[in-house]
Amino acid sequence: MSTRTDAHSNQVVDNPREPFDVNDPRLSRFDLVREGARRDDIEIVHYEPQFPPGSRAERRIVRTVASIFLLVGVSATAFVAAYIWWPWRYEHGTGASKYYTPILGLTLGIALLGIGFGILIWGKKLLPKEVSIQARHDEPASEEERRLTGNTLLYMVDELGIRRRPLLGVSLLAGLAPVGAVAAAPLVGGLIQQPHKNNQMFTTGWKPITENGTTRLVRLTHHDGTPVRPEDVSPGGQITVFPGIPGGATNKYADSPVLLIHLRPDDAAAARAANERAGHADYMWGNYIAYSKICTHAGCPASLYEQQTNRLLCPCHQSQFLITDNARPIFGPASRRLPQLPLTVEDGFFAAKSDFTETVGPDFWERP
Amino acid sequence: MKRRKLDMAALPGRAAREVDDRLGVNTPLRSLLNKVFPDHWSFLLGEIALFSFIVLLLTGVYLTFFFEPSLTEVTYNGSYAPLRGAHMSAAYASTLDISFDVRGGLIVRQMHHWAALLFMAAIVVHMLRVFLTGAFRKPRELNWMIGYLLFWVGFLAGFTGYSIPDDGLSGTGLRIASAIMLSIPVIGSWITSSIFGGEFPGEIIISRFYIAHVLLIPALLVALISAHLGLVFKQKHTQWPGPGRTNSNVVGERMFPRYAIKQGGFFMIVFGVIALLGGLVQINPIWLFGPYEAAVVSAASQPDWYVMFLDGSTRLMPPWEINIPIGDGYVIPPLFWPTVVLPGILVVLPLAYPFIEARLNKDRRIHNLLQRPRDVPGRTALAAMAVTFWLVLTLSGANDVIADKFFISLNAMTWVGRIGLIILPPLAYYVTYRICLGLQQHDREVLAHGVETGIIRRLPNGKFVEVHQPLGPTDEHGHGTLEYVGWAVPKKMNRLGALGPAIRGFFFPIEKPVEAPVSPGHPPVEPRSERQEVGSGGSR
Amino acid sequence: MTSDTPGGARSRGLLSRLRRARSSPRSKARRRLGAAVRLLAALTLAGGAYTVFAPDLQAQETSQLSAAAQEGKALYDTSCVTCHGRNAQGVEGRGPSLIGVGAASVEFQVSTGRMPLARQEAQAERKPPVFTDDQIQQLAQYVQELGGGPQLPEGENLHRGGDPVEGGRLFRINCSSCHSFGGGGGALSSGKFAPSLRPATDRQIYAAMLTGPQNMPVFGDNQLRPEQKADIIAYVQEVLAKDRDPGGFNLGRLGPSTEGVAVFLIGIVALVFAALWIAGKS
Repeated sequence: MSTRTDAHSNQVVDNPREPFDVNDPRLSRFDLVREGARRDDIEIVHYEPQFPPGSRAERRIVRTVASIFLLVGVSATAFVAAYIWWPWRYEHGTGASKYYTPILGLTLGIALLGIGFGILIWGKKLLPKEVSIQARHDEPASEEERRLTGNTLLYMVDELGIRRRPLLGVSLLAGLAPVGAVAAAPLVGGLIQQPHKNNQMFTTGWKPITENGTTRLVRLTHHDGTPVRPEDVSPGGQITVFPGIPGGATNKYADSPVLLIHLRPDDAAAARAANERAGHADYMWGNYIAYSKICTHAGCPASLYEQQTNRLLCPCHQSQFLITDNARPIFGPASRRLPQLPLTVEDGFFAAKSDFTETVGPDFWERP
Repeated sequence: MKRRKLDMAALPGRAAREVDDRLGVNTPLRSLLNKVFPDHWSFLLGEIALFSFIVLLLTGVYLTFFFEPSLTEVTYNGSYAPLRGAHMSAAYASTLDISFDVRGGLIVRQMHHWAALLFMAAIVVHMLRVFLTGAFRKPRELNWMIGYLLFWVGFLAGFTGYSIPDDGLSGTGLRIASAIMLSIPVIGSWITSSIFGGEFPGEIIISRFYIAHVLLIPALLVALISAHLGLVFKQKHTQWPGPGRTNSNVVGERMFPRYAIKQGGFFMIVFGVIALLGGLVQINPIWLFGPYEAAVVSAASQPDWYVMFLDGSTRLMPPWEINIPIGDGYVIPPLFWPTVVLPGILVVLPLAYPFIEARLNKDRRIHNLLQRPRDVPGRTALAAMAVTFWLVLTLSGANDVIADKFFISLNAMTWVGRIGLIILPPLAYYVTYRICLGLQQHDREVLAHGVETGIIRRLPNGKFVEVHQPLGPTDEHGHGTLEYVGWAVPKKMNRLGALGPAIRGFFFPIEKPVEAPVSPGHPPVEPRSERQEVGSGGSR
Repeated sequence: MTSDTPGGARSRGLLSRLRRARSSPRSKARRRLGAAVRLLAALTLAGGAYTVFAPDLQAQETSQLSAAAQEGKALYDTSCVTCHGRNAQGVEGRGPSLIGVGAASVEFQVSTGRMPLARQEAQAERKPPVFTDDQIQQLAQYVQELGGGPQLPEGENLHRGGDPVEGGRLFRINCSSCHSFGGGGGALSSGKFAPSLRPATDRQIYAAMLTGPQNMPVFGDNQLRPEQKADIIAYVQEVLAKDRDPGGFNLGRLGPSTEGVAVFLIGIVALVFAALWIAGKS
């Protein structure tokens, strides 16, 4: 099988070859392979087994590949066995079930890697080394060919005679343009939603409820719906509150979560002074202050409250807001204050005096 | 009629004839089997992406049997005790079920996620290889563009997949995505409400993302990948310059048998690595994140790594808001620039790069031979610049984790990122450019003066010189006459065979080498026979 | 114990030296604090000799304290008085007043080794505690009797009967924003950070919620009732700490950032080596 041809005989086209008789019984199978390759403009210039057949090295590699394949079998069997018999149901703690996925991964991985390495070693070591040269034939087609093809294409235009019959062309365009719209209309029409329906981008769940002519303020509630009393928050503490309406703590009111903070007296004085400067003099209740939890930058909950520095950090893009200065952004990409919720206390429970007076959540074009 | 005995040996031949009679595939099949592929490790990087994609399809189909893309609220009652009784969406509950109540579901889910990360990583590494070696040049510009689009389609596939389990982390990501859409001037709020079916989060986004993730985007990926491979096939693979290799041939192995075996083996290895990762390394533990709630967030909220550069650019962006005082006033939020404009530029510029480079170089020829990165210092330096830019952004995307684990101030990290983003890429450009020139010069020097042998010779006048081994014939000054041809220049004596053939075997020699040196401890310094005489390095 | 001598500080590396150089006015305080710690070690060895050093200026007040508090006061006057001042009224620019912080706060700060403070920086870090458990109880008793304040319940296990399901919900809405979903901690502004919850004991977690040490907000008993605190501790200790990850090695539970590193360092590196071998000559 070993054959070595001259490395420089790759210009197959130039070399006139003697006629090749495929049916010649003297030809080996490799001769036929080489002839087939030649007809595809491929010259096998180097083809050589890596080991003498039957040599020690070859037998060693055969043994290696065979043992890898056997390992694959063992590992795959182990996978199936573990899949069936290893305890797999979740149980708390550090029991055997915690090793279910790792064991599956290990056995599957070894099996797959084994197949891979087995056939790679087989192909790399036991198959003859080969260098073949193939001509690319990517020279551009001749001018003549291009001309023929181009005219074939243009011929259709001639036959249709759009130049001679302009009315057809114009009417076709005029007729087809709306058909394009037909394709787009259901898609666009089905998907499109008016963003300002019910003024939804500017209102939240805190909007006072008007029923039967009376207006009721919305209470601040815990996650479980129980209303919040002032003594529920210790000085230096904060709590996430939701509007006390049905579903107020669900994602239906994704813009409504509010951080209620009980400031220490000194900080509260600073915050009150800042509030007055901003014209929000009555937004705080006592030392309590409430800001929208939804970051004005990208909408993450800005909820990392640092009680000594009175900063509120958003964990998504690190915008930092200073609570004692109307939640002014002091660092990071946010450019707008967190909206403040005006607070009051009714019957001992916190309530929102009104909805936010600024737009909650990330910025957009038409935010006034 | 006497029944003829079935001739087993002739059966394949007969079957083949029957098939060819009908389909006429004989000759094309043979030329397919005989197609020659060049062999180099860097040509296998794209295969990693292809094979990961196959794994993605396999595991993804499995996952669709169990996943329920719905935001309907349910009460979890599955095996994972710490969440039992919690209210959550059906999407999240079914993802928990895949992890805990489908036997072997967790490993498939983790393999799917790891395969996705690997798919994107392999695309990037492959793209760097193509860029650095100039494989995108004419006639392969179209394939470069397809490949580049594959990155962005893969990006969308990854992001939609990351979003649909509706856990705490993916919900946060979805919220940011909605804010990004919202930040687009004029039409932002319309786009957001149209995609989310109303105000965030709405009730339909998971099923919309789901159909995009399992049907539209994979279909697009399959189409683009087919076109990508088809073009590689049609245009034939590029190859490195070297002996016998020209711009108009391909030197390598025929597809059948060796190349195909290698590809099959490599597929199994990629599959095996993904299986090992999927089983042994936990990814995206959604049961710890909890269901998505608008008020809940975790420190270190990050997207997957291929989105992290956008997160980083968002974090580094200064709070520059543009107010337009017309009517009620309009605003362009600072979020718009790093998340819409920057990716927009990043999508368009690289698509046009092959044409820009050809135009600048006035290069209209066809290139089938690759270039070594050092031989095109401008392009290589540009790649280094781009990688540095990307790296600064990606690291900034994880800057809170880095700040926390390495005890650095978070604000300092942001500032380092902001300044680094401006200073480091040009620096990388300059340094890489100089390194390329240095390497080029060294190649020329070895060609001119030969390889350093490590032999010091003392001249009669007392001067010491190192003996250099020329690589080929020399002129009258002792300078080599070989030209640089764009391929690696041997720079060590053992590359010239000075040590004799390597001894085979891992722990012990399996066969005595034919030309083994007599004493392995002292390799022969004299080069072998007919090569050339040892001359001095001359001018130095 | 005496690692805070100038020699010990010098070995801490460039950063701390820079910080030292910048903050020269504080170094005196630190030296004195270091001396105090050294002193304490000597005292512990000598056993009981501290009474010699204890200033008896407040003899009248001392008489009103319980026995444990008196021992605590002696400890206080050797180790804490420099920064927190006589009678725990605080020293401007060094340490806050401890009036009203309660035993819970003392127990948290001292048992986690945060106090005595090694040096002034953005935030005190967890260290091996300087005092024994008994000494901590004495110090806590002293501060409690001085000004009152929140106290911890008895016992080591404060999550008995806690419900991890409810605890998980409360953890995600109240704690995970800073301490992260896996309890591994996270960064805050300007070098501050929320520490990892892994080394924390039940009593320390309880005390931290009750008192809000440093920049942590206070979660008083009205906001998180004692049984809710037990729920949270149950979640932290039973689920986050004890429940082994079912999906294999957890990569530090740091989320997608370590996963991204892993896919390059493990996946791409392994496969590139495989490719090198496949395409290699031998």
